[in-house]
Amino acid sequence: MAFNFNWSPLAADANFYSRAQEMLTTALNKSPKPPIIVDDILVNELNLGSVPPDLEILEIGDLAEDRFRGIFKMCYSGDSFLTLKTRVQVPNISTQVNPLNTYLFSKPSFTSPQPLAASSGLTIPLQITLSEIKLSAFIILVFSRQKGLTLVFRNDPLESIKVSSTFDSIPFIKDYLQKEIEMQLRNLMMDELPAIIHRLSLQLWCPEYRAKEDEEKAQAAKLEEEAPVDPFASPPQDAVDARGNVLDASEISSLSLDGGSEIHSLFSQKNLLRLAALTDSHRTLSLFTPSIRDAVFRAWAGAADRNDSSGPSGAVTPSLTRTLSNLGSTSTTYTFGKGSDDGHGQLPSRPSLVSLHTATTGLSLGAGRHSRSHANRKKKTRVVNLRKSKTTDDILSESGDSETSSAAPASEPLFAKVIPEEPEDGVLTPPRSPYNPRLRTSVRPVKSPMAVNESTVLDPSPSTEKPDSEAASSTSRSANAPSSYQDEKWGANSTFLEPAPNLSNSAAPGILEQAWVLKMAGEIARRVHDEKAAREGFWQTDERDEAPPPAYQPNTSPFHR
Amino acid sequence: MLEFMDYIQHAFYDATRWNYENSYSHLTATARDLLDFETPRGLRLNISSLSSPNFATSYALGSVGFVDGSLSYLYTSLPLRSTSHSGTIDLHDVIRGYRQIQELRKPDNSRDWEEWLAGRRIDKRDSLLYGRLYLPQSTLEALYLRRISPTSQLRLSAVSDSRLRNGGTILAMHQYDVGKYSAETLYSTDGGLIGLRGLYNFGPDPRSKTREPPTLEDRIYGRFSAGGELYYGSLNKSGGVSFGGRFATLPAHRGIPLTATLTVNPLIGSLSTTYAVKAGRNLALCSKFDFNAYSYESEVVVGWELWRMRARTERKRERSMEAKLAWRLDEVKEPVMPKPEEVAGVFKARVDQNWKIRLLWEGRMKELLFTLGSSIDMKKRDQPFRTLGMEIQYSS
Repeated sequence: MAFNFNWSPLAADANFYSRAQEMLTTALNKSPKPPIIVDDILVNELNLGSVPPDLEILEIGDLAEDRFRGIFKMCYSGDSFLTLKTRVQVPNISTQVNPLNTYLFSKPSFTSPQPLAASSGLTIPLQITLSEIKLSAFIILVFSRQKGLTLVFRNDPLESIKVSSTFDSIPFIKDYLQKEIEMQLRNLMMDELPAIIHRLSLQLWCPEYRAKEDEEKAQAAKLEEEAPVDPFASPPQDAVDARGNVLDASEISSLSLDGGSEIHSLFSQKNLLRLAALTDSHRTLSLFTPSIRDAVFRAWAGAADRNDSSGPSGAVTPSLTRTLSNLGSTSTTYTFGKGSDDGHGQLPSRPSLVSLHTATTGLSLGAGRHSRSHANRKKKTRVVNLRKSKTTDDILSESGDSETSSAAPASEPLFAKVIPEEPEDGVLTPPRSPYNPRLRTSVRPVKSPMAVNESTVLDPSPSTEKPDSEAASSTSRSANAPSSYQDEKWGANSTFLEPAPNLSNSAAPGILEQAWVLKMAGEIARRVHDEKAAREGFWQTDERDEAPPPAYQPNTSPFHR
Repeated sequence: MLEFMDYIQHAFYDATRWNYENSYSHLTATARDLLDFETPRGLRLNISSLSSPNFATSYALGSVGFVDGSLSYLYTSLPLRSTSHSGTIDLHDVIRGYRQIQELRKPDNSRDWEEWLAGRRIDKRDSLLYGRLYLPQSTLEALYLRRISPTSQLRLSAVSDSRLRNGGTILAMHQYDVGKYSAETLYSTDGGLIGLRGLYNFGPDPRSKTREPPTLEDRIYGRFSAGGELYYGSLNKSGGVSFGGRFATLPAHRGIPLTATLTVNPLIGSLSTTYAVKAGRNLALCSKFDFNAYSYESEVVVGWELWRMRARTERKRERSMEAKLAWRLDEVKEPVMPKPEEVAGVFKARVDQNWKIRLLWEGRMKELLFTLGSSIDMKKRDQPFRTLGMEIQYSS
């Protein structure tokens, strides 16, 4: 997207130039001038030219009535020019005799020889014309009603400028002026301009901004790494919350592979700490849940759906999921996907109720919330990258949490869409390829349309082609890929096969069931944990031993068929 | 207004019969005093004392946003008998305005300075020591002045300040003045500057025995002086030069006193002319025109000073006790001669072509000497008053 500037009316305004000249003149004379300039700097001529700058919206991170955050790209190579007039004290031979001109170099007058006229200076009118200004900058614009408008140049905006002056015939002075003015302009744009704009905006919107001056300074200082946006309002944060991943610095940096600076800017340190506390509490079975302002926990939202979906139990482990899908509950599909997704990375670390809850919410809320929060985000590319890098991961993939979390946002909305699909058994026939190590891809099929029953779960291949065609295409995945990773998923699930039958019984709604599920989940988690611990040595290696899944493979198939 | 220490220093010059105005650096003193006077900034208090004929102290306290001050001490080997009380000081001595140049004096014969006692010379050369410490800047100024002979003088001045390069500078100057001409050589450690100044007075030589009385039938009776200066910075290999001339009427002139100067700096191409007249007994006008031959820049400054006089008020005499007892009035004594008026104050103003105005009002109030000044920039409509200041001096 780009702006189309209507440039000429701005310049056509009769008063505009005179007003701008006045403002510039006062601004230039406000700050102390170097002693070589002995007169006021007058803006003699100002012309904005006829070529407008190009402004391109690269990204709008946040948009609301009272706040805005975006990144722009601005290019300008127009024919505007600016002419300044002043008088300079020529650094001639006699003014270099420092003792002679006490007023120039603040020499003590007491020991001055007090020359009569030998120290008189030669002031020469100087006219400087700045033209052929070329700018190219990435502009980060953050506006919030409380904190004002902040404008930051990501890079050095000044590409080139032509400085012509009275002394053009003297190359030394010409070079000096060129260098000096370029430096001053850079300084002005990088440091002064943002500060001025920010102060102005504060005066405009926050009359009591004096009280906030500290805040303002702090904000200006860390503007580069943090933007004043509510983290929970932004999708990626939501996703991370749902997964309960720990977001420590290393993970953030790993996230930043594709959108580092942005994500970095989306989370404030405070909220990250809170999230860390939250996930810690998940891990430790602690019932304490740190309150996060303006956040809706999936656990709360999912409470209503828990009973009917009976998903919770299934959600916990892949095996459970499968059981449920056998029962034919619509929501289980999602659970499955979730389970497979979570199960690899998350399950071991979140054994108890909490994981249950998250899974549940995922089940029931997927349609509503995730679609809202994530569907509109164009983060697919990010998913793709990660997944590709992931393909080598093994099925059990207790591997890195960070990838999981990053993968999640994209996958979840897809689930939501998928749910309404009617159960079709015909899809069932799963191309049972032997175990395929590309576990990560398993996320994708899940989100694909299959809803209701296990059969869909089993055979995701049609689904991928159907509703999520664009997603699939964006991921540049071949059509047969889903089927293959479906199998992997099976393999993955099969790890937890044994408890599954029991769970299927428990699918009946009821409080007892919940308690039981809880217990089971804990047990499963413990097992997984043990297993994980046993395989600890492998954790760091990306190449996973794929032996276990095939071993379980036989189990799965009998169970399903 | 002269500071007390400068006043004492001038008193020293007078006491040693040194004509400090017969120097090229004082060629344009009139224009400088009338046009380039400084206006005080903020509030400044000076308390000074010539506690003994040989010793003077002065304390200054100033406030321009922050408080600063200075302590200064002065010692002369020559006892000074001049009035130092601010209530009785002649304002003409401390307020510099139109400078009426005087007839040249014949320098003392060096033999007159010799003192012999029991076949040995015991005379000593008069010297002056002066030191001033500025606080809180911790700047130290020092001056050593010595009359080497009736026609020469040595002047050493130094400034010590950690902010200066090399921690300070020293200026050494040797002045030679025989009346008919004067010459100065100087060396400054700042840039290794070597300087040479000279002034030649046309007209009769004061050393010659025969002094023809002024021909008063001349329309203008005055003196023409010409001089030049030459500087060379031995460390930074740069220099400066200027030439100048002055014509000024002498006190014997019957018409309106006037002073005209012309200075030229050939290196810079600047040319400066001043013209000052003492239009009335209490009024002096001065104008200066600068022109630069290289940049065609020109500048005009106009200034004037107005002395406000006030008749010396006679103190009302009480009826004496004797007269009361004798049941008669005191005898009325007619004043033998009318007492001269005393100066109530001096008003100075100058304005240049950029409408930068400086105003100064100096005078005496009770026992205090005060200076009230302001500089105004009419170009800046919103805030014309650039500085405003008041200086109060008391000395005893």
